[in-house]
Amino acid sequence: MIRLSGIRKSFGRQEVLKGIDLHVGKGEVVAILGPSGSGKTTLLRCINYLEKPGEGEIRIGDQALDARRAGKKDVHALRRRSAMVFQQYNLFSHKTALENVMEGLVVVKKMSKDEARKRGIALLEKVGLGAKLDAYPSRLSGGQQQRVGIARALALEPEVILFDEPTSALDPELVGEVLAVIRRIAKEGITMIIVTHEMGFAQDVANRVVFMDEGVIVEEGPPAQLFGNPKEERTRQFLKRLTPEASYTI
Amino acid sequence: MKLDPSFIWTAFVGLLPAIPTTLILTLVSVTCGFVIGTGTALARMYRIPVLAQIASGYVTFIRGTPMLVHLLLIYFSLPLLIDALSAQFDLGWNSAKVPMIAFAFVSFSITAGAYMSEVVRSGLMAIDRGQMEAALSVGMTVPQAIRRIVFPQAVAAALPNLTNSVIGMLHGSTLAFTVSVVDLNAKAQIVASTNWKYFEAYLAAAIIFWGLTIAIERIAAAIERRISLYSRGGVA
Repeated sequence: MIRLSGIRKSFGRQEVLKGIDLHVGKGEVVAILGPSGSGKTTLLRCINYLEKPGEGEIRIGDQALDARRAGKKDVHALRRRSAMVFQQYNLFSHKTALENVMEGLVVVKKMSKDEARKRGIALLEKVGLGAKLDAYPSRLSGGQQQRVGIARALALEPEVILFDEPTSALDPELVGEVLAVIRRIAKEGITMIIVTHEMGFAQDVANRVVFMDEGVIVEEGPPAQLFGNPKEERTRQFLKRLTPEASYTI
Repeated sequence: MKLDPSFIWTAFVGLLPAIPTTLILTLVSVTCGFVIGTGTALARMYRIPVLAQIASGYVTFIRGTPMLVHLLLIYFSLPLLIDALSAQFDLGWNSAKVPMIAFAFVSFSITAGAYMSEVVRSGLMAIDRGQMEAALSVGMTVPQAIRRIVFPQAVAAALPNLTNSVIGMLHGSTLAFTVSVVDLNAKAQIVASTNWKYFEAYLAAAIIFWGLTIAIERIAAAIERRISLYSRGGVA
């Protein structure tokens, strides 16, 4: 369970998050949509404190943290409850695919190397990279790197996985393999928050879609409702611009 | 002037016993310098209050003054300090008991530290922020992330410059003769002074320095080959 209350964040004078409240239930898959600059990535990064919110409360499971008096230990405890999949993959470049997955297990979870290796191999096989265990990230395609990134996140068994535009940096023909993996793990009941531009994907993977603009949540609801019958004019505008083919008549 | 080729060989053999001194001077100054440099670079990059200002002052002063001046300053100031401390705390010590090479160790380490801090800093800056963020996102603490993820990559990125520093210190260590440490260069002077064949003696010293430098380059190249397993930087 994740609960964000009154999250505010400014970069200099510009307020990018204007008091966000969001609740994500256990096992829920939430997609966050919105135009660039709407604050969706910043919000996601606030959840694991890669971005420090100005104020607000973040709660993951029974770990709560108030942004105004968060100590190092609280931040660390909070981070250990989530994992992140990055837009630019951010695999550890000096470690092989398997070592990337093992790193958090050995260093953070204090798991034995043998055990970590076993889990790492199982997870890489699960994302279809059983043959690339010893490959360094520089020898992998973008899609393969992102799948390693997903395995690395899964390995930690976090309470939530945060996806920051996981396919935005990929060649169009590689998007499918990554989405397929995410789709598969979504079905396993792992709690996920996904910032994405892939509308079709959001529509069939998410239980709930959140539309953000200019630092506020404009509208949220089940995908069928938000895509099919949005309440807010701003949502309608956004969806229309993103799916122009729907308005064509042939 | 006539060259005496056979004396080059004589000098060469005569110089060999001084090689360990030169190597130990280089090794100590580079090792201590790397530790000092890393601390200095981190203090500046993380803008640690007070330490960052001290670090900046240290780098600008040391880089702004010659290595020989550092050595002489240490050589003339450290004994005063040691004797004062010894008198204060009744340690029964005095500066005359300190071997000359210790002054060279201290001074060269201070010199190397300032230069190497910039090498380490350039390495750290070459690493994408995403590496740090990924490390934090898997639950590492900042020190763990630096030690396990950022620093190894930074050292790899800075390797060509680090090699430069090591070679620079190898050659710089010749200044130790000013405080009566018998390194390769000092030994060449001693060997030559017996029969005034300075050119031959220094030529032999040059050949040995060149050989040592080639060895350092070989070691660096071997490390670089290992790094290239994962890194695909460069333009080739």
